Amino acid sequence: MIRTKINCRKFSDSELILKSIEDLNFFSCIYMRYEKKLKNYIKKISGFDDEEIEDILQNSFIKVWRNINSFDHSMKLSSFIYRIVHNETISYWRKANAKSQNELSYVLNSNKEQNSEYKDKTPKINHIKKVLDLLPIKYKEVLILKFLENLDYQEISDILKIPEGTVATRINRAKKAFKKIADEKNLLEKLINK
Amino acid sequence: MNNKDKIIEIIKNQNIKPKPKWYFAFKNISVWLFYIFFMLIGAISFSVILFSIQQTDFELLSHLGHSKLELFLSVLPFIWLILLIIFILGSLFAIYNSKRGYKFTFSKLIAINVGLSIIFGTIFFVGGGAAWFENAFAIRTGFYESIQKRKQKIWQNPQKGNLAGIINKVENNGLEIIDFENKKWIINIDSTFIANPVLLEKDEKIKIIGSKINDSVFKAKEIYPWGGKEMRNKRRNKRRNKNK
Repeated sequence: MIRTKINCRKFSDSELILKSIEDLNFFSCIYMRYEKKLKNYIKKISGFDDEEIEDILQNSFIKVWRNINSFDHSMKLSSFIYRIVHNETISYWRKANAKSQNELSYVLNSNKEQNSEYKDKTPKINHIKKVLDLLPIKYKEVLILKFLENLDYQEISDILKIPEGTVATRINRAKKAFKKIADEKNLLEKLINK
Repeated sequence: MNNKDKIIEIIKNQNIKPKPKWYFAFKNISVWLFYIFFMLIGAISFSVILFSIQQTDFELLSHLGHSKLELFLSVLPFIWLILLIIFILGSLFAIYNSKRGYKFTFSKLIAINVGLSIIFGTIFFVGGGAAWFENAFAIRTGFYESIQKRKQKIWQNPQKGNLAGIINKVENNGLEIIDFENKKWIINIDSTFIANPVLLEKDEKIKIIGSKINDSVFKAKEIYPWGGKEMRNKRRNKRRNKNK
């Protein structure tokens, strides 16, 4: 396989999209630029293991490639990719959920134990994840996108395909639900105090 | 092989090509065409509802002892109301599936769609399109009875004091009219209130409130123009003659 070496850093996201259509090798630059961020995102939202995450990412990037001509240059490339990855993760999660509710919770729980990256870096992060896992998916996803991925309202709106006003409302409700669950599980104190 | 290389391999080996630009452009244009279509049919439905309300003589018919609500419900064209709702929902679905449709809240989308249907529907109604469309629809569909036909039925009721028809002859203190069932009536117009712009001319379409004297004579208490297109044309001609 002959592959020219490309200095990916030289190109902006928009340039990479345009160049990818002409030369597939530029597409790998897009993958490399977002791989780590997206893997973390999938892990936070689903708790899947590394193998499943690779599968989701692979399927998502093939979808990105198929739909590359639909990319709207007034939007951020990250929002475009996050949207596809998000939808792929949720659909994967739902399929797994439909297979067996019990099996999934077993897998998720065992993953959390086995997965080194999911293991406590600090007890506080572990508590946050515990509470996040207990939230409905619509609250969990906005909290992760806002506070763990540090995205702004417009980006979240583009990823989830909901109005910015709804993003704000959902974040507020998610924060309240988070506090309530943390309080019920006696984790609120631990999260406030270091 | 790392995941990055694996993806490139899959794309190359399976010869996966990006969907062409025209595909997305076509999809986008189709969504907007659907939107325009749904919105316009919604607007036409609204204009026919306006036409139906205009054609209902609430004030005149209330002498029959019916409440306004009862009259309104009896003449309200439910088929157009259902069509209006269906097409507004269709236009909502189309705009939501447009490229940036998700940027609008549901309430904003409803307000925009209902607003546009009202604006275009009113324009269509004022331009006389609603009457023409509704009549054409009634002719082409067997199951639907036009608003005019229903109105004629209401006014073809001499027993209850309602009569309507076309003036055939005008005499000193009476008229001869031919009703919608082609029956001739002598109308007594002694001390009758004649509303503006009734001219009492041959071929004029009128409606009468009064009482039946016998099978061919009707005593008129009030006479009104039939309404609709004829009345509008008459008003227009009257205005023109005044200006001259």
